[in-house]
Amino acid sequence: MTRTEQITTRLKDAFDPRELEVVDDSESHRGHAGFQDGGESHFNVRIRADAFAGQSRIARHRAVHAALGKELVSQIHALALDIDS
Amino acid sequence: MSDAKTKIDEQVKSTDVVLFMKGTKSMPQCGFSSRVAGVLNYMGVDYADVNVLADEDIRQGIKDYSDWPTIPQLYVKGEFVGGCDIITEMTLSGELDTLFDDNGVTYDKDAADKIREANG
Repeated sequence: MTRTEQITTRLKDAFDPRELEVVDDSESHRGHAGFQDGGESHFNVRIRADAFAGQSRIARHRAVHAALGKELVSQIHALALDIDS
Repeated sequence: MSDAKTKIDEQVKSTDVVLFMKGTKSMPQCGFSSRVAGVLNYMGVDYADVNVLADEDIRQGIKDYSDWPTIPQLYVKGEFVGGCDIITEMTLSGELDTLFDDNGVTYDKDAADKIREANG
């Protein structure tokens, strides 16, 4: 499974999102720190789920980090998150 | 506490606003660090910058300290505020102004408004 698929699966399982967009943005970072051949180093995630209602910004980010797991998060160089309920 | 944790604890508690970043506020070495430093610079905030690339213990230590996997990380009065996405959102919503007001951190309100106008 690619990282894009892993991210998508884990977020769907954890939050049952209404909207979910996982974009591999690695190409736009070619030549910058953290770029890996084959991409899948930089991701933009946009997620909308009722599960985030009433949570602080930090709590939402922590919940996403936890759902992805430490290992996957540590493999990704950059993860830009746009989270809302 | 480990040496790194003790050092970080002293840094975030001895200065009102501290940014842990890749590079320095005058020469950031990562786009995400650059964005947060750019906001603070533009708003004229007096803050300490800690270059995590200069110290591997701090680079890992700061992630353990806040249980947050990414850099940059902004601290105000010893409290972790957020990383690049959160600071960007708080800047645009005005929450960052409120946080600074509540903690007696001086900044240029007009500059903050200009950021919002340019990104509105």
